[in-house]
Amino acid sequence: MASTRRTFLKGTAASGATLAVASRFKPLEVLAAENGKAALSEDLVPTTCWIGKQDCGILARRVNGRVVKFEGHPRNPLNLGALCPKGVGQIAAVYDPNRVKTPLARTNEKGVAGEWRQISWNEALDTVAKQLREYREKDPELILWQKGRSKAKDFYDKAFVDSAGIEKLGHGAYCSDAGYRAAEYTIGCHGVLQPDMRHSRYVLAWGWNATGAGGNKFCYITWPRQLSEARERGMKVVALDPRLRATGPHADEWVPLRPATDLAFALALCNGLIQQGTIDREYLAEHTNSPWLVKEDGTFLREGGKEQVWDTAKGAIGPVGSAGKAALEGTYTVGGETVKPAFQVFKEHVAKRTPEWAAEVCGVEVDQIRRIIRDLGDNAMIGKTIEVDGVRLPYRPVGVMAYHMAQQEEGFQAVRAQLLVFMLLGAIGAVGGVRIDAKWEIDDHYQELDEIEIGDPPYDFTLKESKYFPINSGNPTIAAKTMLDPKRYGVEKIPEMAIIHMANPVVSFPNTDVIKEAYKKFKFMTVLSPWLSETADLYADVVLPAATVEKYEGPMKANDMYVDGVSLRMPPMDPLFESRGEIDIYLDLAERAGFLKGKDGYLDILNSELELTPAHALPLDRRPEVANIFDRWAKSEGIAKGLAYFEEKGVEVKGEMTPEEIYGYAADPVFGGAIHRLYGESLLRYQRQMKAKKAEKIYWQDYTPLPTWREPTMERSPGAYDLYLISFKLVENKQSRSSFTALLAELMPEQRLHINPDTAKERGIGDGDEVWVEANNAVTGGTARLKVKTMYTQAIRPDTVGMPHHFGLWVYPGAKEQGPTPNVLFQAGEGYVACTADQSFHVKVQVRKA
Amino acid sequence: MVIDLDRCMGCRACMEACKVENNTSEQIFWMNVFRYEEGDYPDVTMKFLPRPCQHCENPPCVKVCPTQARYQQDDGIVLTDFEKCIGCRYCIVACPYGVNFFNWKDPEDNYYGLDWDDKELDSVTDGAVPPWKNPDLDKRYGPDERLVAGSGHFRGTTEKCTFCIQRVTKGLDPACVETCPVDALIFGDLDDPQSDVSQTLRKKSSFKLKEELNTNPKVRYVGQTAPQTDGREIEAIPIEARD
Repeated sequence: MASTRRTFLKGTAASGATLAVASRFKPLEVLAAENGKAALSEDLVPTTCWIGKQDCGILARRVNGRVVKFEGHPRNPLNLGALCPKGVGQIAAVYDPNRVKTPLARTNEKGVAGEWRQISWNEALDTVAKQLREYREKDPELILWQKGRSKAKDFYDKAFVDSAGIEKLGHGAYCSDAGYRAAEYTIGCHGVLQPDMRHSRYVLAWGWNATGAGGNKFCYITWPRQLSEARERGMKVVALDPRLRATGPHADEWVPLRPATDLAFALALCNGLIQQGTIDREYLAEHTNSPWLVKEDGTFLREGGKEQVWDTAKGAIGPVGSAGKAALEGTYTVGGETVKPAFQVFKEHVAKRTPEWAAEVCGVEVDQIRRIIRDLGDNAMIGKTIEVDGVRLPYRPVGVMAYHMAQQEEGFQAVRAQLLVFMLLGAIGAVGGVRIDAKWEIDDHYQELDEIEIGDPPYDFTLKESKYFPINSGNPTIAAKTMLDPKRYGVEKIPEMAIIHMANPVVSFPNTDVIKEAYKKFKFMTVLSPWLSETADLYADVVLPAATVEKYEGPMKANDMYVDGVSLRMPPMDPLFESRGEIDIYLDLAERAGFLKGKDGYLDILNSELELTPAHALPLDRRPEVANIFDRWAKSEGIAKGLAYFEEKGVEVKGEMTPEEIYGYAADPVFGGAIHRLYGESLLRYQRQMKAKKAEKIYWQDYTPLPTWREPTMERSPGAYDLYLISFKLVENKQSRSSFTALLAELMPEQRLHINPDTAKERGIGDGDEVWVEANNAVTGGTARLKVKTMYTQAIRPDTVGMPHHFGLWVYPGAKEQGPTPNVLFQAGEGYVACTADQSFHVKVQVRKA
Repeated sequence: MVIDLDRCMGCRACMEACKVENNTSEQIFWMNVFRYEEGDYPDVTMKFLPRPCQHCENPPCVKVCPTQARYQQDDGIVLTDFEKCIGCRYCIVACPYGVNFFNWKDPEDNYYGLDWDDKELDSVTDGAVPPWKNPDLDKRYGPDERLVAGSGHFRGTTEKCTFCIQRVTKGLDPACVETCPVDALIFGDLDDPQSDVSQTLRKKSSFKLKEELNTNPKVRYVGQTAPQTDGREIEAIPIEARD
């Protein structure tokens, strides 16, 4: 065989082009010639990554107009020429012959595997638009638009929801909304805490899968690069996580916290910092409500409606903000009533939360906790200042990143507790301290979350402002639960039509059985997706094939937190098959359903969402081309060449961010004028209102003015469920849209249960063995189980097992064999969706050999 | 090439960039990043080791090749002339680093089991398999104009990393180097004291894989230490069975 080949090769060695005539693997020149194309032409066109989160800049290498490789855009500040495995591997997604090629209409009953007939775009759009029109006439609130994580600015989808007047569900409750709400409530900004990578000396990577998943803004590339550079200049990293994750070689110390004990750990840090005296009193007195006097009933002392402090100079109370030095500590008597500064209340609140106590609760060494308290105190350099770009600012080089740490039962309060640690250190908005991923300006939620009035039924189907979950970002599984039993929650109206976009709820959200049951109730569903999703398979009436990278989308921030820029996704080639970009689809749907044009129509809201200047605003009387929308946007931004600028350059780099944009202390006013809420008086008010409205304890127990430790509800599961299940992300995959992509599936072929070998061996389980994992719901007693293969790892607590998301699909050929999703096991009801209705990814399980 | 293990995050972007650039078939990885653990809980560390062809100064694969298909260029890059390879697989046996892959199947039968005959796809791709077929691999390189870049990945031949000969000829970095999110891979001329690789080697202590074999790899590792004997590989990539 080999010699035959050699003989053959010798005979034809003159030209590589004739080497393999019988093969599909012909040189491109030959293939092109066969298709009547004279010579190969080649170019590089800019666009942005579609498959990941952070929309990295891409240069697509094209041959004869067809993309052959995605490479990083060297000038995009996010990735500076790099791409992660997903970014490179998405080429297999673009050319995937298993994409949905044409619009599809269901021909069989719902709830079972879909059978389809191919239909024209005209028929598909008419069918969906007819439903939209009819439901909007009846009641727009009967229509639910649901999306996973938005790609780029969510202007075109938000405009669709707003102009149609329909209901909306996002993904935030499964993500980090508890953390966002905690930050908005506590420090007034819409953001997630993250380190100042250029200046930090000591960083707590708290549940931060830094090198495997990224964080709130960046998925993989930007932070790991900044982290490596920071470590090369000496920054220390402490990983707090039940599983070491890929952070391993990039962490100086690992604190394997017991799952869901983060709040306890944070309180112990607060206790230690106060005991140690490493607290920034100046910051606490000036920029937080620490000195505000609290009465014995837990509310602030007010005179004439104004909160009061204890003026140490006068030895009397005075209104907040009046001259004089306000006491942080002490007990005072005012008008016969005992009052204490909020800081004093906090100090007493954490007095018993010692490192020894936390070591027990969190299952870690007390010495480690003590060392972290000492290192935080030493590195915070309280009192020091530093000059940055000519501005002298407080220097507190201790940071934290805790994005998905919020995904636990007590997520809102755990993040609040963490905020309090860094507030004590004075590190919020200081150089080297804690940054947020947004501007230092007060978010509307700062006020709104402080002024919630808990209503009476009927409640909205997401239970917003209800007595159950007053602070609430809209958890789709809670919505599903209310759809199944509206009376139980005082809900009267549930949606009947669904538009599902870039989301796969029956797989991606816990509890999958609840979602499946609830989604049966939709009378009409359309799904926009490049692949036939499991949600479409079971429930869609019409499937609309969406393009992947080959479409217009944007604008995207091309901002690495230090250098600012903006980019666009532009089609490097025409959409494959009959797929179309989503903006095109929404324009057509709005037009056919009659809300495209005129005031408050889709186009009108596009104008305001994109902040198009009058000279470049879209005319309200005709459907524009999508490219034209972005041309107008670019011109509104002052880019004279419009879209052509981005088609040529791919990214507009605006330059270094200023200290005012980076540091809360440099902002004018400082911190955007927010007084940071150490003490959350309104949380106590909500608790009292919830009690008065006869809500059960499981709903109100976490509405406390200061973060308060309690054992997680899952601990009430029977002892046989002796392990914690956690979840995490893999760098090879993004959400539920990539695990089946050929090149990525090759890197990460299947789901594995990460288990400590000692734990496995006790149960007679070998590396790679199939096991049953069974979860118990501590509130309902219900169970759920799945079968999965194990993976031995020493880098996980022996009492904890972990399973990544991304898997659990069954429609794509071979996807079922890749294994299950842990969302089968995670629980979606009370005890697991607590306080702010944000989802916990913790549950007690037992594991036994299958 | 210098590989900085203090920077590598084990993300395997380099493996993916290599695959797409060089159109290697399913389960063939010219670059492989090993993920492994050392120590026991809780004193455990995770480590990563990218392993391309080591482009040895004394390459055992060249010595055993009966047809001189495997040869070393003057610049040190070790290549395979696919017109001379008879598929004897001696190089696979001789190489202590396991970087050689044998094409057991015709490549079009080894592309993930997807239907590349799809008519609608064909109309866009001219029938190329894979659709991201890189035309540079069909070209000839070096003074003797040999077919070395990968081209058709012919069944019955053995192949390995070429340091992306088609790219370095153009003055570009190899695909793995270019895509690395954390600049853990550095490519350059070890003989040029001003090159990035030489400068990095002066700054940090380095080691070579299996130094005792005197193959003298031109891939050097800096940061951390060579893998310990108690390292346990995790998340191994399923690769084409090698002898």
